[in-house]
Amino acid sequence: MKFRCERDVLVDALTTTGRAVSGRGGALPVLSGIRFALEDDALVMTGSDLDLTISVSLTVAGSTDGSAVIPAKLAADIARALEPGAVQIEAKDNEAIITAGRSEFSVHLAPAEEFPHLAGPTGKSVTLNAAEFSEGLRQVVPAASADDSRPILTGVLLAAEADGLRLVATDSYRLAVRDLPGASVLEEGQEVLVPSRALGELTRALGDAAEVVLVLGERDATFDIGATRLTTRLIEGEFPNYTGLIPTSQPNRLTVGRTPLIDAMRRVKLLAREATPVRLVMQPDRLELIAITQDVGQAHEELDAKYEGSDLTVAFNPEYLLDGLEVTPGDEVTLETVDALKPALIRSAEAVDFLYLLMPVRVS
Amino acid sequence: MTGPEDARCVLHVDMDSFFVSVEILSHPELRGRPVVVGGTGARGVVASASYEARAYGVHSAMPTTRARRLCPQAVFLQGDHRRYSDVSRRVMAIFGSFTPLVEPVSLDEAFLDVTGSDRLHGSGPEIGSAIRREVKASEGLECSVGVAPNKFVAKLASEVAKPSASPAGPVPGPGLVTVTSDGVEAFLRPLPVQKLWGVGPATLARLERLGVSTVGDLAVLPKPAIQAALGEAVGAQLHDLAHARDDRPVVPDQVPRSISHEETFATDHRSRPDLERELVGMADSVGTRLRTLGYSGRTVTVKVRFGDFRTITRSSTLSVPIDSSALIAREAKRLFRTVDPAPGVRLIGVAVSGLAADCGARQLSLHGLDQQLWEDADEAVDQIRARFGEDAIGPAVTVGPSGIRPKLTGDRQWGPHRE
Repeated sequence: MKFRCERDVLVDALTTTGRAVSGRGGALPVLSGIRFALEDDALVMTGSDLDLTISVSLTVAGSTDGSAVIPAKLAADIARALEPGAVQIEAKDNEAIITAGRSEFSVHLAPAEEFPHLAGPTGKSVTLNAAEFSEGLRQVVPAASADDSRPILTGVLLAAEADGLRLVATDSYRLAVRDLPGASVLEEGQEVLVPSRALGELTRALGDAAEVVLVLGERDATFDIGATRLTTRLIEGEFPNYTGLIPTSQPNRLTVGRTPLIDAMRRVKLLAREATPVRLVMQPDRLELIAITQDVGQAHEELDAKYEGSDLTVAFNPEYLLDGLEVTPGDEVTLETVDALKPALIRSAEAVDFLYLLMPVRVS
Repeated sequence: MTGPEDARCVLHVDMDSFFVSVEILSHPELRGRPVVVGGTGARGVVASASYEARAYGVHSAMPTTRARRLCPQAVFLQGDHRRYSDVSRRVMAIFGSFTPLVEPVSLDEAFLDVTGSDRLHGSGPEIGSAIRREVKASEGLECSVGVAPNKFVAKLASEVAKPSASPAGPVPGPGLVTVTSDGVEAFLRPLPVQKLWGVGPATLARLERLGVSTVGDLAVLPKPAIQAALGEAVGAQLHDLAHARDDRPVVPDQVPRSISHEETFATDHRSRPDLERELVGMADSVGTRLRTLGYSGRTVTVKVRFGDFRTITRSSTLSVPIDSSALIAREAKRLFRTVDPAPGVRLIGVAVSGLAADCGARQLSLHGLDQQLWEDADEAVDQIRARFGEDAIGPAVTVGPSGIRPKLTGDRQWGPHRE
């Protein structure tokens, strides 16, 4: 294998594919490398940890076809350090020779034949509006669990809804639901569970692309964004029944400016150390935020707000509340609840296709 | 800042062969004989040895089999961790009657800052003597006290105060050694340099190449020379210690780093279901202790030592802190799934770390049922145990032919019992 390309192109491709390479040095040592496969002028670079695979197709000046696996981190470090301009990579015997200007590196290769063969997607492909899909992911992915202890909850549910696609994530403390009307990806009643880590990477890869092509297989999902292809294993198992959790009518309703609330929360949470919550004291026409950490101090702030209902104090994990407020669209948000121990429903006062349900913190 | 160092007065109190001495209280016939407390089985280790046993070269952390060879006539006792911690609590309470600044280091030793106590209780040495008298009077136990301007010197002083072993029997020590700030340099100078905290075999070898064998040898070297030989940080630290500079405060009520329970088996275990049952029992013990102490933690760790002593740990960090026995067990079992027990497991343990005092706030769960049910169950278990004893209730896996046998703190901590 031998080809030339621009350093910047190589750096971008190594960075993108490198995101799928896990640092944990799993069962297959060869997976700490990026596979390069060259045919004529078409180079495909692939990084994978078996759960997530990212490949990038490039047009380069090819001279000898072939394939090689080069250590991912080292290759990326070298490419970044090179002078801008043309880079040549040649795989010879057990080494990759990387040359640019007067620099030359030879790097030991991993055995290319050990790199797992990854089949291309099979199934019907659907094209989605990338901006909308990306926004939806940005809204729900943070609510997915980061604990591997509950694998089902580390996934984002993609479910067919009457008039489109629904994205759902929960870590059991909060639940985020986004509807994408008009996007029909799934068969009626069909739902799949996609690892949130893969979707986080997808959001990154989407950038300002116009569209993304999705192919759902039996066990995996493939997303094509221009020259980048991301394939992820699907999570098997049943997502908890979330629809019953969403309350339909709640007696207490707070309406408040979203940005002022976010800013005030960020200030007040400075005094909510460790596991202490921020308390929201809701009274007619105003909202008070209070944080008290023993032996440290306290913070207090008042905001103008509209409130219908009985006087109520509810405590929340400030990070969880901010996660929801930051991705709720519009200038005003509503917070609806029953009492201090029941889930609070956070929505935009204007848009209806996103909701964030948050359980309070019980203070004794 | 703690102000000038000579303004401080720190005590290090260390119980003399604590576990053995507690055993002798209930077995007076053992007084004057070599006694060893620890794991009595083939894989046990020595936790504590009487001075009579030490005369034969027995010391703590030594494999019990080795101790048996060195001193076959010794009485080997399995030990009763719960009793030791009860006694320890009462001893610590005595310390606490002299100053609120008591920092327990382990069951049998503590640092006390008595800087502000002189008007109420007298000088440091006076307080040290009073503590020795009171511990003897109320518990029948001896302890050794070091009095010094800082923790590091106080600990070395209590070592000098201790009795020593000899073939003719224990030689009583002074019991209390005071090092004043004027006397610190003279006290440290003749001590071997490995007495300094952080001097292990590797550092010692480098120091010997510099011709340093005593603390005094080290103290005359300029700081940059020590740093050049040992590195920036270690060099600076040893330079400070050699000049008796140690401004670490005495910190009471420290949150422990972790709460754990581990056990060594008499024979290697290969069966996953058996090991999972052990994990559930251990999670019960860890959870109970967390709840008793009022802590919860975010990181669960499973430790596995194989027959060939290869030791691995698997841990995971959760998004919210837990203290529930059932949740700890679930997490421990999940972590253990990635471990293949086929080579034979010698020791297994469960730990919860990343601890914080429960501030009374609890993140509620949407799918609340399972979390809140377990919390209610834990509360009920804790109440039943408080009223009817530790073995009144336990996880199903702890039920055996002789009834419920929950794992208690320190169970087989020093290795399995002798069959």
